[in-house]
Amino acid sequence: MAIGNKTRDNLWTLITAPTIWGVHFLLCYGSVAYGCAPNENIFQTIGGFRIFVGGLTVVALAGIGFVFMRALGEWRRNGGRIPHEEDSAEVRERFLEFSTVLLAGLSFIAVIYTALPAAMMVDCR
Amino acid sequence: MLAGAVVIWVAVIGLSVFATKIRPGAYGEKAGLRLIVWGGCVFPVVVLTALLVWGLQMMPVLRAEANGPTIAVSAERFWWRVAYDVDGEPGVAKSLPEGGVPSANEIWLPAGLRSEFLIGSPDVIHSLWIPSIAGKMDAIPGRVNRLVVEPTKPGVYNGVCAEFCGDAHAQMALRVVVVSPEEYEAYVARQSQPASVGADDEGFRRFTENGCDACHTVRGTAATGKVGPDLTHLASRRTIAAGTLPMSPENLATFVGFTHRVKPGVQMPSYGMLSEDEIAAIAGWLETLK
Amino acid sequence: MSDATIDQGATRWAGKSDTEKAQADLNFGNVPPASERDQDDPEVRAGQEARLRHVWAEPKGWRYWSAVNNTEVGLWYTATSFAFMLFAGVLGLMMRVQLSAPDNDFLTASFYNQVYTLHGTVMMFLFAVPIFEAVAIILLPQMLGARDLPFPRLSAFGYWCFLIGGVFVCGSIFFGAAPEGGWFMYPPLTTQERFSPGYGADIWLLGLSFIEVASIAAAVELIVGTLKCRPPGMRLNLMPLYAWYVLVVAGMILFAFPPLIAGDILFELERLFNWPFFDPERGGDPMLWQHLFWIFGHPEVYIVFLPAIALLAMIIPTFARRPIVGYSFIVLAAVGTGFLSFGLWVHHMFATGLPAISLGFFSAASEAVAIPTAVQIFVFLATLLAGRVIYSVPMLFVSGALAIFVIGGLTGVMVALAPFDWQAHDTYFVVAHLHYVLLGGMLFPVVAGIYYYWPMMGGRRLSDKLGKIAFWLMFIGFNTAFLPMHWSGLIGMPRRVWTYPADIGLELPNLISSIGAFVFAAGFVTVVWDVLRPRKGEPYAERNTWNAGTLEWLAEVPDEAWGVRSVPIVSSRYPLWQQKNFIADVDMGRFYMPDAEEGKRETMVTSVLDAEPLQCLRVPGPTFMTFWAAVFLGAVFILATFHLWTLTLMTAVFAVAAILVWLWRGTALQPEKDEKDVGLGLKLPLYKSGPQSVGWWAMFITMTGDATAFVSLVFGYFFYFTVSPVFPPPMMAGEEIGPGLTWPLISLGLFAASWLAAIFARNTNSKGAVGTARLLMGAGVALSLAASAAMLWGPYVTGLIPTVHVYPATVWVLAIWAACHGAVGALMLAYCLARSLAGRMTPTHDIDIVNVALYWHFTAGTAFVTVATIALFPLAV
Repeated sequence: MAIGNKTRDNLWTLITAPTIWGVHFLLCYGSVAYGCAPNENIFQTIGGFRIFVGGLTVVALAGIGFVFMRALGEWRRNGGRIPHEEDSAEVRERFLEFSTVLLAGLSFIAVIYTALPAAMMVDCR
Repeated sequence: MLAGAVVIWVAVIGLSVFATKIRPGAYGEKAGLRLIVWGGCVFPVVVLTALLVWGLQMMPVLRAEANGPTIAVSAERFWWRVAYDVDGEPGVAKSLPEGGVPSANEIWLPAGLRSEFLIGSPDVIHSLWIPSIAGKMDAIPGRVNRLVVEPTKPGVYNGVCAEFCGDAHAQMALRVVVVSPEEYEAYVARQSQPASVGADDEGFRRFTENGCDACHTVRGTAATGKVGPDLTHLASRRTIAAGTLPMSPENLATFVGFTHRVKPGVQMPSYGMLSEDEIAAIAGWLETLK
Repeated sequence: MSDATIDQGATRWAGKSDTEKAQADLNFGNVPPASERDQDDPEVRAGQEARLRHVWAEPKGWRYWSAVNNTEVGLWYTATSFAFMLFAGVLGLMMRVQLSAPDNDFLTASFYNQVYTLHGTVMMFLFAVPIFEAVAIILLPQMLGARDLPFPRLSAFGYWCFLIGGVFVCGSIFFGAAPEGGWFMYPPLTTQERFSPGYGADIWLLGLSFIEVASIAAAVELIVGTLKCRPPGMRLNLMPLYAWYVLVVAGMILFAFPPLIAGDILFELERLFNWPFFDPERGGDPMLWQHLFWIFGHPEVYIVFLPAIALLAMIIPTFARRPIVGYSFIVLAAVGTGFLSFGLWVHHMFATGLPAISLGFFSAASEAVAIPTAVQIFVFLATLLAGRVIYSVPMLFVSGALAIFVIGGLTGVMVALAPFDWQAHDTYFVVAHLHYVLLGGMLFPVVAGIYYYWPMMGGRRLSDKLGKIAFWLMFIGFNTAFLPMHWSGLIGMPRRVWTYPADIGLELPNLISSIGAFVFAAGFVTVVWDVLRPRKGEPYAERNTWNAGTLEWLAEVPDEAWGVRSVPIVSSRYPLWQQKNFIADVDMGRFYMPDAEEGKRETMVTSVLDAEPLQCLRVPGPTFMTFWAAVFLGAVFILATFHLWTLTLMTAVFAVAAILVWLWRGTALQPEKDEKDVGLGLKLPLYKSGPQSVGWWAMFITMTGDATAFVSLVFGYFFYFTVSPVFPPPMMAGEEIGPGLTWPLISLGLFAASWLAAIFARNTNSKGAVGTARLLMGAGVALSLAASAAMLWGPYVTGLIPTVHVYPATVWVLAIWAACHGAVGALMLAYCLARSLAGRMTPTHDIDIVNVALYWHFTAGTAFVTVATIALFPLAV
């Protein structure tokens, strides 16, 4: 996949943003589960893991943000216009870009949601 | 939350009626897209974010440190083994702490204090739920879970097992009695006393003759079985058979004689083969275990 | 006559002399290329139609059951899932009778538990998921202007698996031997003999594992169908929304079912051989099952819900008389839901005592998934707003579905908050919530779909009058039954209770619920009657009776077996509305493939993004081999349930043999010529291998599912590592514990060698060095068998006893998994060798070895991860 204006969108680029969400989610859950097991000292703070989650979130948001800006930029520059129902490879490309934008938006919100518990809770109780 | 849900439901349904019946075709695609963006994207994000933050901040609070007694609750097919004032901590690959003041199927709690339950199970997964006092917590073999409760109003509450555990799951209930801290202390002190039983008591003789002591403990006597509930202060409880029947001599006799009719699936065998007199003697003696 | 001819086409099933006569009449093999025919000539068209009709005819008499075409298989599938649904519905009514009064004794505790377990199991596994597959098998090819799905025999195989497994599971209740541990089957209640004696849990596990195989088969079929069998010109942005949903849902099945299969394996190993995966006394943990079950179980809800929403996305534009508003938004919602639904599983485990911060992650995802769901609802509202809605029975059910589903969605948002869920969890509140979601989100849309699509399936419209009666009975009955359950749950009625005491306020809501359930049932019986009632005298419905815009409405009334008269070129989302003269052009055969010149069943394969024509795919015709493969495989599972090991092994051999015969005769057939004129001057190849072929995709997708199951087993290993104080456990009796390093590494080396052998066999074969390729395949067989043996030898010589502790048990499971893959890989290489020797695989026709090499990529990965986990990881900690 060439980065920049020449990206050829396909089903894989479409699911990049939610895949980032998925990886972020699993790493957050996995690291905290590991950090808290076997759930004994439940009032001990787990600062290290929360910082890890924080860093992970920044990386994930940056990744999704990049996908978002890339797709939005290309869509705009090339005159993307919903509802994308014309019959040409060009419009299909715009359609994929626009759908990528929407999915990236959703994934962005979902990553923030995922990070909220780590921001709000300090221990393993 | 309920009111909000009703409002949203009415709005959505109202909108669909409006769109189809009242003003059909009055709006174009632009209006439709605006509806999707504001109604389908922005509005839910705002509401859900608020709800999520509210829900998350509540969770640690509900699991705050206890300032009252620690009570071990072992959920067993199909009753609750209770021990007051234990030392222990939660965790995976753990079993409940030994010791404490034993009881069963009725839990007393001090009002106004945060008491802590340590919940486990030796057999299958159960779940302790006292609807009016707190949410559920599962009892999982190999784990000790922790549930903090802070009852405020004295009274008697119902509790149930909320995780399917077998045939008598529906009849695995308990009573929770919330009293003042002083009364609570007195209660636990009373429960810690052995029973006052004469060894030549007719009922007690029948009780041991028929092997009841193999499973049940009556402290202060030779009955030290650990399988079933501790009966030392049986008659002080409000119910028998884990919340199935109210405590009374008749019900005690019924349960001993027709165990499986009263509570199908329970581990205790029916003692229907005993004569009515024998059962009455046992029930009468049990009734004295205040 | 070549084998290809023997096995292909309906001709096989006609008598010999008839066949020859028919072939002479139909002029098979002597027809001029399609591009040279004049489609305006009625005689030309008559000849083409006769040939198409002959080729796609369904087999007659008892041979009807050998059919594999999507129309027949889809119909059986649908009818069977509805039969199971009615059965489970009766079970539901029995529960409502039992619960209508306190301390009722209509059912015993044990029987009630069987009834509720089967009610949930059947509704979820035998109705909700299969009905998606069933409807998709019928509709998808029609919607894509394809003549059939790419692997018709796989669909048929899946159907027979489903039928056999379903009857086995349901039948158990008539012998009082049904599972009684709930549809979630939590261990240790279900794994330990002392809590659940008898065969119930085994029947549940093995019966359903078998059905899961069918589901994954359907998922493979549907993904390839959507990506590769679209009509020319149907770019991704023009795909019907239903196809988008099918793609997403089939993808979800691929990642959701394998964890459950992994869980089933662990579960059954514990039940049959006492391997202590869920026994805390030997290091196991019942929570692992909950994780694996709900990693399956929550996506499952969306697997059920999304296809029904997809039906709404087809029905609403038709009756709003306009294209959907916000097509991209629906695609976002479908794909987004597909992903997010995998981050919700722990919300079924909020009360298990996990740390609040862990629960928080899942609470967050559970709230997030409400966003795409809201988007879908608002897309429908926007379409209704921007259209001029015509009211009809299907629309009535659509409105009912929305009204009910929105309530379910809102209570879903509530229970997604852990503090609220701690109260509502495992109570009748959740029973109400899930029925609002599943009936509003699935059953009502499906009934809407029945009323909408029946004119296409059965040729006649269903009754408007009966439809309205049915709707109001169902709608009122449903709400009467389930609305009060919110209340009974909140005041303290837990789920799965066979009775409840009087005087705690539960009598009235339960009585109301029971009455409502019967009203609802009456409504549904009305629908069934409307579908089944004899209507010979009634006139046929018009073609495209609702005046819809999508390709499935090209179907003629009464239906022709060929699917579409010619494969159209699509240039819009609603071709019947937006493309001029479209139906006439299709009917006149003016598009592609208007003929069956060689007497073969054919459909078109196109590219993923823009649907450019790639291949004219010959699809296989009727056969009983898929039936026998399913029967033998079913027998393996059923016999294993009753521990009849000798017979199990024997039938396993038969099952493998049946599958091999099926593959040998029906796949990777060499066509009589390289390419074919499909009309409009287009010539397409008849044979393709590699990433452009459907078979390659099927292998890739299947192995993705397989890898998911494997990852779930590896997850199990690391789960135990996380929750155990020391894992691997400290030395027992002074001996070193673990499979050692030597044998696993030897095995890994051998696996790598067999992998290379497969790759080089593929490469040399395609370069024409057939001799070398055969040598490599032979070497590969030996190497991979040795690799498997070495993999098992490691834990064997180091004396790991799986019944002692969970650690040896997990090591054994991973080693056996890898070894089985090695053995299957050996079988595949041997198969390729045989194909090559028999002249069925050549340097130009090399699908077999190309796909087997692809299999070996995955197997090599599996072996590597296995060795890294069981041998290297313990050294690192």
